[in-house]
Amino acid sequence: MTADAKQTAEGVRNGGRRGGFRMAQYEFTDEETQLPPVKYEYLDHTADVQLHAWGDNIKEAFEQCAMAMFAYMTDIESVDLQEAHQIEAQGDDFESLLFHFLDEFLFLFSCEPFLIARKVSIIDFDLENFRIIAKGYGEKFDLDKHPQGTEVKAITYSNMQVHDKEGQHEVFVIIDI
Amino acid sequence: MFKRKLAALDHHAPDSFNINDEREIRNLVLWLENQKIRRYKIEDRAPLQATGPEWNANFEKYCKDLASPIADGSMAEKLEWLIGYAVSLEYSDDADKYKGQTAENVSKIVVNVPKVESSNPLDNMDFESPDFKKGILALAQILDVTPHPDHLVTLKAVSKVVRERLSQEALDKPNNIIVKGKPFPFQEADLGFDMGDYVLNQAAKILRLLYIHDLRDLQTGINETIVAVQSITADPKTDTKLGQVGR
Amino acid sequence: MVVRDYNDELKYLERIDANSWRIKKGFQPNMNVEGVFYVNSALEKLMFDELRNACRPGMVGGFLPGMKQIANVAALPGIVHRSIGLPDVHSGYGFAIGNMAAFDMSDPNSIVSPGGVGFDINCGVRLLRTNLFEKDVQPVKEQLAQSMFDHIPVGVGSKGIIPMTAHNLEEALEMGMDWSLREGYIWAEDKEHCEEYGRMLNADPSKVSLRAKKRGLPQLGTLGAGNHYAEIQVVDEIYDKWAASKMGIEEKGQVCVMIHSGSRGFGHQVATDALVQMEKAMKRDKIETNDRQLACARINSQEGQDYLKAMAAAANFAWVNRSSMTFLSRQAFAKQFHMTPDDLDMHVIYDVSHNIAKIEEHVVDGKQKTLLVHRKGSTRAFPPHHPLIPVDYQLTGQPVLIGGTMGTCSYVLTGTEQGMQETFGSTCHGAGRALSRAKSRRNLEYTDVLKKLEQQGISIRVASLKLVMEEAPESYKNVTDVVDTCHAAGISKKCIKLRPIAVIKG
Repeated sequence: MTADAKQTAEGVRNGGRRGGFRMAQYEFTDEETQLPPVKYEYLDHTADVQLHAWGDNIKEAFEQCAMAMFAYMTDIESVDLQEAHQIEAQGDDFESLLFHFLDEFLFLFSCEPFLIARKVSIIDFDLENFRIIAKGYGEKFDLDKHPQGTEVKAITYSNMQVHDKEGQHEVFVIIDI
Repeated sequence: MFKRKLAALDHHAPDSFNINDEREIRNLVLWLENQKIRRYKIEDRAPLQATGPEWNANFEKYCKDLASPIADGSMAEKLEWLIGYAVSLEYSDDADKYKGQTAENVSKIVVNVPKVESSNPLDNMDFESPDFKKGILALAQILDVTPHPDHLVTLKAVSKVVRERLSQEALDKPNNIIVKGKPFPFQEADLGFDMGDYVLNQAAKILRLLYIHDLRDLQTGINETIVAVQSITADPKTDTKLGQVGR
Repeated sequence: MVVRDYNDELKYLERIDANSWRIKKGFQPNMNVEGVFYVNSALEKLMFDELRNACRPGMVGGFLPGMKQIANVAALPGIVHRSIGLPDVHSGYGFAIGNMAAFDMSDPNSIVSPGGVGFDINCGVRLLRTNLFEKDVQPVKEQLAQSMFDHIPVGVGSKGIIPMTAHNLEEALEMGMDWSLREGYIWAEDKEHCEEYGRMLNADPSKVSLRAKKRGLPQLGTLGAGNHYAEIQVVDEIYDKWAASKMGIEEKGQVCVMIHSGSRGFGHQVATDALVQMEKAMKRDKIETNDRQLACARINSQEGQDYLKAMAAAANFAWVNRSSMTFLSRQAFAKQFHMTPDDLDMHVIYDVSHNIAKIEEHVVDGKQKTLLVHRKGSTRAFPPHHPLIPVDYQLTGQPVLIGGTMGTCSYVLTGTEQGMQETFGSTCHGAGRALSRAKSRRNLEYTDVLKKLEQQGISIRVASLKLVMEEAPESYKNVTDVVDTCHAAGISKKCIKLRPIAVIKG
């Protein structure tokens, strides 16, 4: 967990809830609380599901893809923005970068802090070194609050497609469920 | 003293030899030379028959002639060596005969056991008599045991049935002791191979069954061991606070 | 993939008999051996439709059709005998699901592939019997279903209720069911009636990433989601009364509990980690495959060995997981009937893995060889007298547990000598998907699905309503077709049919 994420978690333990008592540095900026439009869909696939996400640029397509994954796990409308956690992903080409980017977020969901993210923002998208720093905004997955959707077992390279050219910024990922 | 070795040499009184009696010592030395060692020709043995004090010097010479390593030892040590030497000569005279005489084998040879009339009637039974064979056959029929051509094998089977099925415990609580086998169409079961011969296949099937029987006993033993260990280590817990179940 | 016209593709396919087809060399490039798949007429149509669809111009599917995948596996280095598709085969990641492939351990080029095992390592089925009958359970069916649901954590995001520390997890990974035994969660006889006796001895937790352990720790003792379930079932049909009797099943109506689950996030992460490692190993060792998804490494390479040790640890995780749920199920029954699990005779009939790679001895061209057998969506089915099956099943052959889907029947089969020779003792694992999940959601209404189950007298407790549609029986191949094909082909033998009366799902 990065220092930033730790502080956020700390803030929550101290009652740092939105609308409640919170310290200034953990307050979400107005921009952070804005929910992005939905630019993803789920495509047909026999045993698994294919995520199709797009955007105005490849960065947005990546963000949308991670949000698509989270939205498959629960009814995403039930998720409030309460905490933020940061991840770092490293790849050696577009595909492996996307793979590790999603895998990091899956990991964030699977164990402490059990984050279900409603919003994902890429803070640093370094395409020279294929490195991403991103933040997930959401809350701890809570069976009382969040309906159970489908479990994502793993991200796969199966027929993974990353398109990044003028007028086409979209990605396709099959997740194993 | 020297009882065992003297007995081994067939000495006439191994039990009563007295090392403190000079006369007995002289007699023993002479006996050893005459009967066992025979270092000198008969006519040259006279010095050992001496009765005066000169015997001691003669004995010293005798020891030297035999290359005894005991030069300044006590009389007991000298005799010890001398008797031992006689034993080794006796052994090498008939090594083949003595080679097999290990402690184990010797212990089997019981000499001079007084004949005791056995009070166990079985000891006096003739196991090969027609009467005995007939008896076993009758017993086997009563207990529903298939007779084997060797009546002693049949007897073993009969004894097993009596021990396992007719013990007090088995009679009191038959369900606990007697394994209730379930029938299985064993003849139709796939053997997994074909010996190409009906009789051999049947035999192989029976071997398989016996093997499975042994294996079951082994597995039961393993399970019992696990249960014994569990009684020390087991402590199952659940904590529903950890996760939510049911809704 | 070689692009050919559908009719040209058919030239490489040849019917062997009523229940099997041969895929000849050349169907895909570099095939070392032929492919074979088992079908009946209904399943055959599904297979050929899938191939025909893939031959349409402009198709950019995620996975190749099952037949192509079977053929690509036949092109992997070191494969012996044949690449075999079982009747429930459908396309999966690299290997088809329902695929058996064996590699010669003595050939230095032979490979191990995580795709040949699947993401859910040691996913499997366990069957418990009881001495209860349907008439005992019917009046309290709803309560019992609820009790099971209250005892077993299910669905996405659920956490285990058996306290585990990181240290406990390390021990469990190494010891498998011996850990559950030591801690007293299960019975000695459970171990006796489990494939591998519930423990792979080559497990090495130090070969597992911290990430996998972190994902695994909170999930140990949870059922999971997807096609995993716990069902209360009753014996609907007995085909082989002798074999059934050996399993403690005497009459129709007898109540059983089936648990279908795997190694949860732990196994998924082990598989993911290995795939990343093997991509590198393939480049280094210049291993050529027809499909990038068939990531693999030489068995004797560092990556290959590390994967086998980590996979064994994941297999142990799955056995501990199923054991924990066995414990919880016994508790649920005990509470409902106010009797001890012992008095309810809740013994494990058997426990099978249908996603695993194992080192086994088989006869190849008349010679005994040591092979690494990959079974993905395929169940081991060893014949009578095989030394690796429990003593109680020496005469009947290994029980093979085939889980149906929500609301459909499940089966117990037994292994056969013919299966040992033809498929290296492998058979089907379940129904196998026919409809995509998205299509299921579009075409099926969850209220209809639930109503239908209710009409069949099946109680259901489900964590996710969305899953009800995705997992509806209509989405799957007919399990009876699948099982009948295995029986007719002789690669395993029908023994018992079970019908669900209550389903607990993720």
